[in-house]
Amino acid sequence: METLRRNRTLLITLAILAFLLFTAIQGLSTRDWVITLLRGISVGAITFLVASGLSLIFGLLDVLNLAHGTLFMIGAYVGWTTYLRPDTLVDLLPPVLLLAAGLLLGPFWAALVGRWRTSRTVSRAWPWAALILAVALATLVFAQWPLARWDPAVAAQSPATYSLQLDQAIKAGQARAAPAPAAQGGLLRLAGAFLGSALLALGLAGFSAARYGGAGKVTGAPRRWALGALLLVTGVGIYTGDAALTRFLFGLDTAWLFLIALLVALVTGAALGALMEITLIRPLYARPIYQLMLTLGLGVSGIELVQAIWGRTEFNMPKPALFQGSGAGCPATSIVDWLANGCSTIDMLGGRIRTYNELFVILIGVIVLVAVSVLLQRSRLGMIIRAGVQDSEMVEALGINVRQVFTLVFALGAALATLGGIIAAPSMGLSPLMGESLLLAALIALAIGGLTSFPGAAAGSLLVGLVQQFIIKYGQIGIRLPFLEQPFKPTPPLVPASTVLLMVIILLVLPQGLFGRKE
Amino acid sequence: MPDAILEVQEVHTFIGQFHILQGVSVSVPRGGIVVLLGRNGAGKTTTLKTILGLLPPRQGQVIFDGQSVQGRRSFDIAALGIGFVPEHRAIFRSLSVAENLKIAERARGDLDRKADFIFGLFPDLKRLYRLPGNHLSGGQQQMLAVARALVPDNRLLLIDEPSEGLAPIIIEQMMHAIRQLSAESTVLLVEQNFVVASQLAESYVIIEEGRSVQAGLMADLVVDRETIQRYLGAA
Repeated sequence: METLRRNRTLLITLAILAFLLFTAIQGLSTRDWVITLLRGISVGAITFLVASGLSLIFGLLDVLNLAHGTLFMIGAYVGWTTYLRPDTLVDLLPPVLLLAAGLLLGPFWAALVGRWRTSRTVSRAWPWAALILAVALATLVFAQWPLARWDPAVAAQSPATYSLQLDQAIKAGQARAAPAPAAQGGLLRLAGAFLGSALLALGLAGFSAARYGGAGKVTGAPRRWALGALLLVTGVGIYTGDAALTRFLFGLDTAWLFLIALLVALVTGAALGALMEITLIRPLYARPIYQLMLTLGLGVSGIELVQAIWGRTEFNMPKPALFQGSGAGCPATSIVDWLANGCSTIDMLGGRIRTYNELFVILIGVIVLVAVSVLLQRSRLGMIIRAGVQDSEMVEALGINVRQVFTLVFALGAALATLGGIIAAPSMGLSPLMGESLLLAALIALAIGGLTSFPGAAAGSLLVGLVQQFIIKYGQIGIRLPFLEQPFKPTPPLVPASTVLLMVIILLVLPQGLFGRKE
Repeated sequence: MPDAILEVQEVHTFIGQFHILQGVSVSVPRGGIVVLLGRNGAGKTTTLKTILGLLPPRQGQVIFDGQSVQGRRSFDIAALGIGFVPEHRAIFRSLSVAENLKIAERARGDLDRKADFIFGLFPDLKRLYRLPGNHLSGGQQQMLAVARALVPDNRLLLIDEPSEGLAPIIIEQMMHAIRQLSAESTVLLVEQNFVVASQLAESYVIIEEGRSVQAGLMADLVVDRETIQRYLGAA
């Protein structure tokens, strides 16, 4: 058993090679085999984006975030919306930036409140007043904010219509006309957003002062002021340049728009993750079961929320022009050729490969794998994370603010999930439940890989993706087994079952998973 | 006492429902070594964790260098200049020796500045510098745990059971190191091994069932057979 454990990397590689060899001789043509292999890796890459965040969060914080699938789905919807309607982004950015600027005031309020001596009743009551005022202001501001609205019930305003229009525009090789900018709400409303969040920060500072006592001095004050000022200026700048910016975004090539969508999805994920950790997860670190129920509930509410905004129907996401071409020079014969002509397919490795679904998705998976590995192995933050996985109390005792690191890691994990969502959207399509099957796949991948191990999450995801895709392929052609007369054809229900079976087999042999450590 | 670097005043600490410390007072004068004595489960480790804010006290307070640490979070308290060497050689096993030291830096370059001092105390660590923590022997892990606390400029070191489970020759080496480093910073020690404790420390505090019951000079305690018998069992 010990030798088995020591040489596990070698064994895993051998097992995968043996599996591939087995599949190679089972009546698949080279071409089919290459395509199925790449599809498997591609599905594995998307699973990995969800699983890696789950494993980082579980490893460091001991929280199994069951809302991770929902974050994946939200990433897809938010990114897709940015991609289809950049004007929505332009309309929403100013209030959001000002809101963030207001929240940055929190520590300054806390320092002020710390000096303020009042009776117990007053110090308990006023934060509520501030909070209620803040919510009232925010409602006032956002209820009348001229958002580019979706209306799934009206055909002309349905997201599906926008999606179709964009698809046609890409195929015709033209830019869409920018819609007329919505009537803006006046600077007063913008100031309201800032004031509201400043009040919110004041209220929160008051609550924390009532419970823990006020904070002394503010750490990193100049940096805070600078960041706040930057947010303010950017917010007001976008606000005044709304029409010009909208026109600019609509004139952009879809590849750039897609890149912006990726960034927006990443930032949304990080913000949601940080918010979730600070407000909901943090009070429950001592109660794992409550946490589990909380994340499960958050996942379900997130799905409901998305259905309320975008409706229940499924949508397609048109791929950027770079991955859509089929005219002259397509299918491409090399990477350079593809980049020049923007083909949807490419002839490589003896098969015809889709540039988006296979090449691009795998590329993103590899980039994330390398980037996070470098972060974990080479940076100080990564060192702290690896140490914290083992003993976060000791890390704190060294003088490191572990709570902040927890928030960062939760934000990072959530951002990886939302990135996964927007990456998967063009190939998988969008539906409110798209995250659930991925959450399950990611959980299986984690169990296979060993829960808290980052390389384990990668290996597990890859295995899950490969097994899924090969089983699907054999559903079409059947496996010729020596002891059966007829080729055995796995039916579609066997696809999820096969990954569970894989997990069972691996856990029977290695109860800690491939890369797990003995408890 | 004006020249105490650490004053623990009548602290009461709970772990969950359990009232572990029921009034512990410890005064640590600047410089030198103070040892906390007492039976297993008396609350010595809890006292160290209370000082560091890992288990914040419900009552009483901890004053470090004339400044109350009440309401501060652990990382903030530690950053005032307190180093912690936990029991069971709690190094980060998945990190290399170098990383175990590097992570303790509070300012860039701490390790470079202290490297000579640390490797002077523990020459082994220099040889093992690139190895992962889980390849170290028990004694080497304990050395690394102590060395880690020496990387930043700590004015107070809390060392929990440095001799536990070590071979006599390693204990000897460890005692030598602790004596040397106590020239640079004050040490508050928890030590079950009375022979080790009596040779290292100048003064002691005895903790019994969550209360500090007696304190004084080590020189007086070693001749006080009755106290030793009563609070520490064998002698």
